[in-house]
Amino acid sequence: MSGDCSSQPQEEGKGRRMGTDYVDVTEDRLSVEDITERATSPTSGAIGLFVGTTRNNFEGKTVLRLEYEAYMPMAKKKMLETCELVRDKWNVENIVMVHRIGVVPVGEASIVIAVSSPHRKEALEAVHFAIDHVKATVPVWKKEIYGDESSSWKQNKECTWSGSGHP
Amino acid sequence: MANGNARNIEYITNFSVLFGQVRLLFFAKSREIVGRKEAELEVVRLTTPRDVLQTLLQEYPGLGEISDNIVLSLNEEYLEIDDQQIVLEAGDELAIIPPISGG
Repeated sequence: MSGDCSSQPQEEGKGRRMGTDYVDVTEDRLSVEDITERATSPTSGAIGLFVGTTRNNFEGKTVLRLEYEAYMPMAKKKMLETCELVRDKWNVENIVMVHRIGVVPVGEASIVIAVSSPHRKEALEAVHFAIDHVKATVPVWKKEIYGDESSSWKQNKECTWSGSGHP
Repeated sequence: MANGNARNIEYITNFSVLFGQVRLLFFAKSREIVGRKEAELEVVRLTTPRDVLQTLLQEYPGLGEISDNIVLSLNEEYLEIDDQQIVLEAGDELAIIPPISGG
């Protein structure tokens, strides 16, 4: 387990639901294995897993590195709200979401979401919904730095207030 | 003298009813434009998100270039720009949120 993954657990206390929500925003390298492990449950038959990784190119330009920043408390709050929405729609057990910030080298994971559920269909649908919702609501920003040292703040297509026609 | 003090107190009381100082947070491109992460801003307490944005643009004209593509959050909740009315409290945390790109 990387240090930060276990440092600030925010677990849900509602007894009527199975499992826990765990969200974190960390500067540490993400371990897919540790995050998957955290989502694992003996009563679940499936874990839906999404790993977002950083690309090495954008419109023909070489991306040297990526820098992420977050509005930390609001980001965690919005991630927990996403967990709530997932639980409203699907029967899942544990939900684990960890977003990496700071400099993320090309090819490494920037976000990992793992959702366990008794059945695979729900785990897969839940994790798909979760990443889409995170991209639309969680205040995290990514800046691409290119080979010529120019840079660009990116905009998710899921973000409703992004400018059209921008990257 | 006594009268003058009373009037001053009344003025201060009214002032804090009408105005409050909120904490501003700037992120991503807005942080780069403004050149800082945080600031304080004197605002009218009974206001609308659109008026708050106008006040921000007067204080930080550089934000004009991205003003069509920012939303505000108040105490970690997004504000709808077309909301009719909000009441700000002194010490509230108001964040300038450029288009997000997490994930």
